Amino acid sequence: MKAKKARSESPTIKELKFIVTRIKKSPLSLVGIAVIAFFVAIALLAPILAPIPEGQEDPYRLMHYGWTSEPQPPSPEHLFGTAQYQYDIFYGCIWGTRTAFRIGIIVVAGNLIIGLIVGTLAGYYSGVIDELLMRLTDIIWAFPGLLLAMAFAATMGPSLDSIVLALILVGWPSYARVIRSEMLRVKQEDYVEAAKAIGCSDLRVITRHILINSIYPIIIMASLDTGAIVLSAAALSFLGLGPPPGYADWGQMISLSRGFIYKNAQDPLGYWFTWTYPGIFIFTFVLGWNLLGDAFRDILDPTLRRR
Amino acid sequence: MEKTIESRELLDVKDLYINFYTYAGVVEAIDGVNLLLKQGETLGLVGETGCGKSVTSLSIIVLVPPPGVIEKGDILLNMEDRAINLLKQRDRALMKIRGADISMVFQDPRGALNPVYTVTQQVGEALLLHRKEELCKRVLQELERDIQEANTFKRFIYNCEKKIYEKMMNTRRRSASLNALSKIPIVNRYQGRLRNEIRKEVVKLLKTMKIADPERVVDMYPHELSGGMAQRVVIAMALSCDPRLLLADEPTTNLDVTIQAQILLLIKELKEKMESTILYVTHDLGVVAQICDRVAVMYAGNVVEVADTLTIFKNPSHPYTRDLLNAIPRPGKEFKSIRGEVPALINPPKGCRYHPRCSKAMPICAQVKPKLTEIEEEHYVMCHLYER
Repeated sequence: MKAKKARSESPTIKELKFIVTRIKKSPLSLVGIAVIAFFVAIALLAPILAPIPEGQEDPYRLMHYGWTSEPQPPSPEHLFGTAQYQYDIFYGCIWGTRTAFRIGIIVVAGNLIIGLIVGTLAGYYSGVIDELLMRLTDIIWAFPGLLLAMAFAATMGPSLDSIVLALILVGWPSYARVIRSEMLRVKQEDYVEAAKAIGCSDLRVITRHILINSIYPIIIMASLDTGAIVLSAAALSFLGLGPPPGYADWGQMISLSRGFIYKNAQDPLGYWFTWTYPGIFIFTFVLGWNLLGDAFRDILDPTLRRR
Repeated sequence: MEKTIESRELLDVKDLYINFYTYAGVVEAIDGVNLLLKQGETLGLVGETGCGKSVTSLSIIVLVPPPGVIEKGDILLNMEDRAINLLKQRDRALMKIRGADISMVFQDPRGALNPVYTVTQQVGEALLLHRKEELCKRVLQELERDIQEANTFKRFIYNCEKKIYEKMMNTRRRSASLNALSKIPIVNRYQGRLRNEIRKEVVKLLKTMKIADPERVVDMYPHELSGGMAQRVVIAMALSCDPRLLLADEPTTNLDVTIQAQILLLIKELKEKMESTILYVTHDLGVVAQICDRVAVMYAGNVVEVADTLTIFKNPSHPYTRDLLNAIPRPGKEFKSIRGEVPALINPPKGCRYHPRCSKAMPICAQVKPKLTEIEEEHYVMCHLYER
């Protein structure tokens, strides 16, 4: 009876089961999934975890709980203490999770879309198109991202959008290159020729036969990048190119603690809470994405598939 | 002016020239090939590696890979009422011809299957591309039957399904919304009946390919198939839309001898059943003797001799064909290989391309390229020995 059941299993279910066993075998990727799930939960539950205080209109604009410049240590009202100008660190960290996801996902999605289009066109239609697109990619590759971000900040005013735009414009070349090289590899395969021979259009050949076999490295890259992007966004934000002071953003929180790393000779680490908490958030977030990237590689990499 | 074609002829390749523009120079891979396929025959295209037989077969479905360029020539395909020149068709028209009228079986069966799709999905793709209307019609009939037996609620659902399938049937004006819906997982379950129909059709096809346990095989991925099974699946894919011309590019070269024999037998049987024409590309003269009605021998981008199989083996006329047949190793006989090497086609020999290796070469051979002449009925040779 049992054997008969296994036989009638549809291929999709078979594949899903295979993925689950693969994940089970690598505990680190489970940790990665757990960490990201935890952050997703924080982002979704932000209004419950850190209710928007009365009198605050924009939930991403931190409220001043006073005007002293000295940070206050953790207390029941402010779990992680307060930063300079009495911003609540706990509130900033929780709502900053949303900002982090927004930056990571928008930037990576933008990079993916541009990279996919450029890489696919260059790889599939080689020749002049390839040459033009790849030289464009080289130019962008050589462009200093920091300078571009500064230029955006100067023209559009420092804001989250200018960081996101700058990171999108600078980040796609690596995707385009990987996609192109994968396209060049897969396009030579016999099954692509076979697909053309049964009458598939170019678009169909690209999407159903080539991309599906060349997209895995890109998914892994994207997942690893989501963490890295948040890190560079935090760096830009720390430099003051990002959102204005008081925005719920981890980089911003750390930037606020810039002057409070050292307290005085008697108590050098007296203001530890100002930089530790946002630091932990950034650290675990990036670590989670890296582990998740490894998980994706274990699951998706065709060279590691079942033997 | 459309060139004409006789009704008993299916395909006529006329004066085909194909060059490959490589860094090392221009490779004149195909140098004036003429080839004629009659309705219902099996033509063997024989030659050494690199003589252009694969390129010739690829040019028939107009898929010569870059940097190859078809310089000139005509490839006429007989479409019931008229002849069309394949080289002058638009891409869209070609896409309709590929797979439906002309299809191809590739050398490496495992390579020809996409590793991420199951057998149903691969073979089904050809069905979806060319026989969607027919399949939808069958689904509609099935729905019609179900509607009569169903209760009120189910009847409502079935009627909705019927509307969708009627819309899908209209292939001339494809509905963009349905197209988009079919790409979203779960939502595209509305195509369930069509999928079932495709599955049934694929099982039926695999049965004709004599695959054991087709119900199980349809859900397998290519890496789960054995070489022989994979080649049967590839042949099933090629024959799924009843093509009139099947291009078989060394379909048994990568298989071991027992499987090779089975596949050859299968191709022979299928051909009788489906009445299609086959262009069988190979370098294996044994295979040619088994399944071909006529043989075309190629050398360095030229078709040098065309005759029926018996004549080629009994009375080979072109020196190259003779040398080739003598080079088949036989026990007890001294092994004679052809002297010299296959010429590099970047700078091919002038005149007859075989003259540097030919034992009967004359002064004129190095000057003038011979023409393909009929020396007996239905026996063509391209050699100065026979030109008058």
